[in-house]
Amino acid sequence: MSIETMMKEFQAIAYNPNKQLADFKAQGKKVIGVLPYYAPEELVYAAGMVPMGMWGSNNKTISRAKEYCATFYCTIAQLALEMLLDGTMDQLDGVITPTICDTLRPMSQNFRVAIGDKIPTIFLAHPQNRFASWGLQFCIDQYTNVRKMLDQISGHEMTDEDIRNAIKVYNASRAARREFVKLANDHCDVVTPTLRSAVLKASYFMLKDEYTAKLVALNEELKKLPVCDWKGVKVVTSGIIVDNPKLLAIFEENNIAIAADDVAHESRSFRVDAAEDGDPMMALAKQFADVDYEVLLYDPKSSENRRGEFVANMVKESGAQGLILFMQQFCDPEEMEYPYLKKALDAEGIPHIKLGVDQQMRDFGQASTAIQAFADVL
Amino acid sequence: MATIYTLGIDIGSTASKCVMLADGKEIVGKSLVAVGAGTSGPQRAIDEVLKSAGKTKEEMSFILATGYGRNSLEGFADHQMSELSCHAKGASFLFPEVRTVIDIGGQDVKILRVENGAMTNFQMNDKCAAGTGRFLDVMARVLEVDVNDLGTLGAKSTKYVGISSTCTVFAESEVISQLAQDTDKCDIINGIHQSVAGRVAGLANRVGVQDQVVMTGGVAQNIGVVKALEDQLGRKIHTSPLTQYVGALGAALFAYKKACK
Repeated sequence: MSIETMMKEFQAIAYNPNKQLADFKAQGKKVIGVLPYYAPEELVYAAGMVPMGMWGSNNKTISRAKEYCATFYCTIAQLALEMLLDGTMDQLDGVITPTICDTLRPMSQNFRVAIGDKIPTIFLAHPQNRFASWGLQFCIDQYTNVRKMLDQISGHEMTDEDIRNAIKVYNASRAARREFVKLANDHCDVVTPTLRSAVLKASYFMLKDEYTAKLVALNEELKKLPVCDWKGVKVVTSGIIVDNPKLLAIFEENNIAIAADDVAHESRSFRVDAAEDGDPMMALAKQFADVDYEVLLYDPKSSENRRGEFVANMVKESGAQGLILFMQQFCDPEEMEYPYLKKALDAEGIPHIKLGVDQQMRDFGQASTAIQAFADVL
Repeated sequence: MATIYTLGIDIGSTASKCVMLADGKEIVGKSLVAVGAGTSGPQRAIDEVLKSAGKTKEEMSFILATGYGRNSLEGFADHQMSELSCHAKGASFLFPEVRTVIDIGGQDVKILRVENGAMTNFQMNDKCAAGTGRFLDVMARVLEVDVNDLGTLGAKSTKYVGISSTCTVFAESEVISQLAQDTDKCDIINGIHQSVAGRVAGLANRVGVQDQVVMTGGVAQNIGVVKALEDQLGRKIHTSPLTQYVGALGAALFAYKKACK
């Protein structure tokens, strides 16, 4: 199968989550919706069910969700609720609602009230103080609640061995995605920004073992290609989610490749693996504790601006000439962190631009102008 | 050697502008039609500039489109570029010492840092009309005055009236409220200019303002905004009678560069 065909298959899955959901249900599988961020999907997999990511939509319009949300709720959360209310997700057997940001915390209760008894909602409060033994224990307690509710939905108890096996499957998947991101940089003439996004996005709508097998096959084919001599410019993308094909098409129109990303929906979600032996619940809690350089999580050394330096280094090491930050409208954590990121980028002489986006945007004229001008500057 | 004619076309959100250059130096034709992208404006502006210069499309060595509607001329223009690069180029042609360009257009505010005639950094407004030409259009309509008269009317102000710089819709409500209280229109207009200047100065300071500062775009014709911005930035702002044509001029200059390759 050609590389292009393989990537188009990922693209078809990424753009048609409804079909994936319907297919899983037709196969008799139970499906759990997973909202951002850092839910232990491994537990869903270990329970023999299918986790499907719920990161909003680029096609829906917010209407019903407005009954529950203030204007300043981010569109990702509002559109997730919209799809729960408009019937798009009626086939789900449950929804995990993490609460790591200030929008998702109250939103978890909106989900509960809005959905009622239609779909079970599984509340998950991660600890910000996640390093000490009591932080780890809190995380284990939370994950244990999630585990019990998943057991109820699946109708059988998952074993520790089931979870260890799931961790192995997920570690392999994360490794394959990390390798793909590097290969996409080496072969950015083939892996366009649109296809790169689609390949990574498809992971949210497939069983991870099936996804990984396909991705490993793609990676092997990419490795056979000579490293491309890219004549355009390269950037690092940053933000919560950068998956709108219209937005990514602007990159291609201006010969801009994505060298690496600091995007929550992409690389931030698969940077850290979990231990494959020992107590699997502790392994998952430690995995969460090990997440670093993250806008949403407490950093005891935040005064050192480690995250800003990490992202600046990513730009330099990936061979990018600049960074494009896609700032989700009303995303407080990203907004508050931006001055520190800017400081670190400025200190290293790395040019960047910040573009305001949300999932209700249908016209990208201003973004197109800014991205084209940025390419001119680079 | 035969003269090289190039054409720059700037299709903005509210106006279409053309500039024709001979050998990248002399402006031999220009046109402006007060409607922009998605209208008959671009074609009318092109017809007008060709007619005024007595030239045909075929005589143009290179045609370059810029502005919000730049992609709509595919097949007609040889190339398209962002208006930011073109404004930097055009402003440098008119003011060789320019280091900062403030372009307030119909729906965008752009601050450009320029080094040796090339753009090195920029900032654009967020997805918001506050501080743009549209903001002034809305206010002029509420005040029942011509937008072109805002500058002279604002100069007659004797009292400061604060108008919000946060949101066009809220600012419009404030203006209506001031009118209901019989506040002098000239004072309100001056407040509006201060509001625009406040918004733009905040954006400009993010890039870092350096002399020489040049203001381009249609709003640069409003002396009230220029003055308010000078006060807020504490710097002299240079404008040109060709202020509305700077983007098209830059496009024609880039076109000349392309034609000579």
